Amino acid sequence: MSKVAIMTDSNSGITQAEAKQLGITVLPMPFNVGGSDYFEDINLSQEQFYRFLEEDVTVKTSQPSPSDVTAAFDRLLEEYDEVVHIPMSSGLSGSCQTAYMLAREPRFQDRVFVVDNQRISVTQRQSVLDAMKLADNGKSGKEIRDFLFEDKFNSSIYIMLDTLHYLKKGGRITPAAAAIGSLLKIKPVLTIQGEKLDAFSKARTPQQGKKIMKDAILKDIDIRFGGLEGACDRMHIQFAYTGDRDKIDEFAEMVMADLPGFEPPVIQPLSLSVACHIGPGALAVACTKKI
Amino acid sequence: MSNAIDTRMFRNLFLAGAKNLEAKKEYINELNVFPVPDGDTGTNMTLTIMSAAREVAALPEDADLKSVCKAMSSGSLRGARGNSGVILSQLFRGMCKVLKGLDGQITIEDLVQSFDKAVESAYKAVMKPTEGTILTVAKGVYEKASEYDNDADMEEFIDAVLVHAQKVLDSTPEMLPVLKQAGVVDSGGAGLLEVLKGAQRYFRGEEMDLGISDTTESAPEEEGSVKSEGPKSKYTYDMAFTILLSRNFNIKQEQDFLKYLESMGDHASIKVVEDTAAMTVHTDDPGLVFQRALSFGELTDISIVNQHAGGKQAPKAEEAPAQAPADDPSTWKDAGFITISVGEGISAVFKDLGVDQIISGGQTMNPSTDDILHAISLVPAKTIYVLPNNKNIIMAANQARDLTGDKEIVVVPSKTIPQGIAAIISFAPDLSGEENLAAMTEAMSMVATGQVTYAVRDTQIDGKEIHENDIMGIGDKGILAVGKQIDETTIEMIDIMMSENSGELISIYFGEDIKQSEAEELAKKLKDKYAGCDIELISGGQPIYYYLISIE
Repeated sequence: MSKVAIMTDSNSGITQAEAKQLGITVLPMPFNVGGSDYFEDINLSQEQFYRFLEEDVTVKTSQPSPSDVTAAFDRLLEEYDEVVHIPMSSGLSGSCQTAYMLAREPRFQDRVFVVDNQRISVTQRQSVLDAMKLADNGKSGKEIRDFLFEDKFNSSIYIMLDTLHYLKKGGRITPAAAAIGSLLKIKPVLTIQGEKLDAFSKARTPQQGKKIMKDAILKDIDIRFGGLEGACDRMHIQFAYTGDRDKIDEFAEMVMADLPGFEPPVIQPLSLSVACHIGPGALAVACTKKI
Repeated sequence: MSNAIDTRMFRNLFLAGAKNLEAKKEYINELNVFPVPDGDTGTNMTLTIMSAAREVAALPEDADLKSVCKAMSSGSLRGARGNSGVILSQLFRGMCKVLKGLDGQITIEDLVQSFDKAVESAYKAVMKPTEGTILTVAKGVYEKASEYDNDADMEEFIDAVLVHAQKVLDSTPEMLPVLKQAGVVDSGGAGLLEVLKGAQRYFRGEEMDLGISDTTESAPEEEGSVKSEGPKSKYTYDMAFTILLSRNFNIKQEQDFLKYLESMGDHASIKVVEDTAAMTVHTDDPGLVFQRALSFGELTDISIVNQHAGGKQAPKAEEAPAQAPADDPSTWKDAGFITISVGEGISAVFKDLGVDQIISGGQTMNPSTDDILHAISLVPAKTIYVLPNNKNIIMAANQARDLTGDKEIVVVPSKTIPQGIAAIISFAPDLSGEENLAAMTEAMSMVATGQVTYAVRDTQIDGKEIHENDIMGIGDKGILAVGKQIDETTIEMIDIMMSENSGELISIYFGEDIKQSEAEELAKKLKDKYAGCDIELISGGQPIYYYLISIE
């Protein structure tokens, strides 16, 4: 049985400390703030990041440098036979494509497997946990990659933004999201189904937005993922937020009230590369299918 | 005494009815229960019947009964404004369905049958028919009429029916408490009675001027017309006219004719409604267009404007579609929006939310079915959502939907501007028309609207004594606050709204008579009072209503 290392990037929301505990590798995502480079959870904390956003300093996301990626591969291959790397969705960043190309170098061929399963944040995190479980069960790197790839659309995310400001500023806005009006206070509800961040619905108030997200996730579980009955055996539910944590618990409670039997859900901050585009005050709910 | 009415007499009875309603327009307007300066029943019914009267008057002297019926029916259906106007148009439509099949002599029994059909058609047009309204008066007319047969004398018959109709009208306050409280009879019913009275006077041989002027509609047309600006045509003449179709006009012929028009110029459009086809085209050769059009029937409502002559543009010209509606459905987008709005700021909000056509009107002037049909023709979309934003426009929108064949029209029954805004915001592109209607209806139920305006007369309503020029705060279900000061009354109204539904967001659309600084002052007071709420201030620019407030 080959020894398989699991690697991801900090978009998964897995901190360096947690990574150590889990025995995996997390590549920190780089940010450029006012000309200086920072790395998520290395020398850029959540608090610092939101201070930058509030000050309206331009925060730019970038990709891990190819040398950092290959260095991580090399280091892991010293200890392990194979590496499964799960970067953030290729629909949101080029880092997956880059990693994929780097993995084709002769010394990594058939040893490093990059998974383009189009997940981000809590769903990406779940993929990492799934990969670890598969590795423990003796699956090979290729088997794990193929499984995760097959499984890629078995997740769903809804995010309510507090403001359109950052989405418009970042220019990363799909035509549908761009059509959301800007004269009124509108809280867009976005969705990630595999590929991109896309417009799902709109709300005028947080209560409306929360209800839209709750209805949407319940509908997904009911229609796409085999029904609400016994869903706790089939699904994971996760929550994420940007900025202050104070509103997410109440939202989680509201959603879980209609989902009996579930373990207490994972609640974590959204990764900074997403936060950078949507700004503080966002709430998100996600579901992923259990493997 | 003759016991039948001939075509000529019938036509004149109708014109006399229309003229009499027009003369009593202001009296009918005064009967409105709500003392708000709104598009009133008398105005709406008059504009509706005048649209039909113009078509009837334009017919040749010797036009047959079928042509008269067609003109009456299609003219009123398309010209229908306001709920009472739509009901009136449905009464004529039902009546004409029976009469158009006759050979030119109308007996008492024919009339009874036509009244029966009229009442049936009108009741069908209303989702929840209410007694104590124009419907009840119309039903009373039929019931009395049905006691007579061809052996009776026509004049006696007419007199008896009118006496009874008056009795029914006088009893409407007993059926509708709001009428009783305001001390009025139903305005729509009163309008119908005036039509009948005009006909009665003519039948008795009274000297009456039956001339129908062409200008009646010009003023409201400006307010109620569709805003559209488009590229200027290179052709000289902007033509618009209506064909009273004398033979079947199928889709193939319609397309062929449209192609012919396009070969002659640009901005060509054809809109078929029942037995009429409304055409527009910009061309250098009006003669050829007329010649071809005459092969389908008689022409009416003709307007030709020389676009290069400059200056003198007939009002009709502005109404012509500015761009040729894309006639290839495969190029249409999935969803489009039409809304009725007034005030630059509010219209800007709707545009910002992606509305394709804004029909100017609403509070001050209810657009006609034809205005809505025209807007529909300008939106190249497979499904078009129409948001009336006023309860008195919903029926005209429904009528426009029923007269549209090539597009799916979803009338979202929004009664206020904030409801319309909430509905559009909740639109989801992936859902079907039906699913969106359900979602939008739910979204509308989550918003409470308050409207602040002044009273145009003394009255008593919702248990409140109101004097002329008082400030009134009107909620979704009635008058909430009455006072002398705009600010105070607005806040009092909001207090009541907040106590009924706790809201998170208060939106304030201030009207053209309110200064930005005054509105900011109000917003500040509300912020102090409702600290947990978001307050949103928008310059609505609407006339007559100082403030539109929404709480959600």
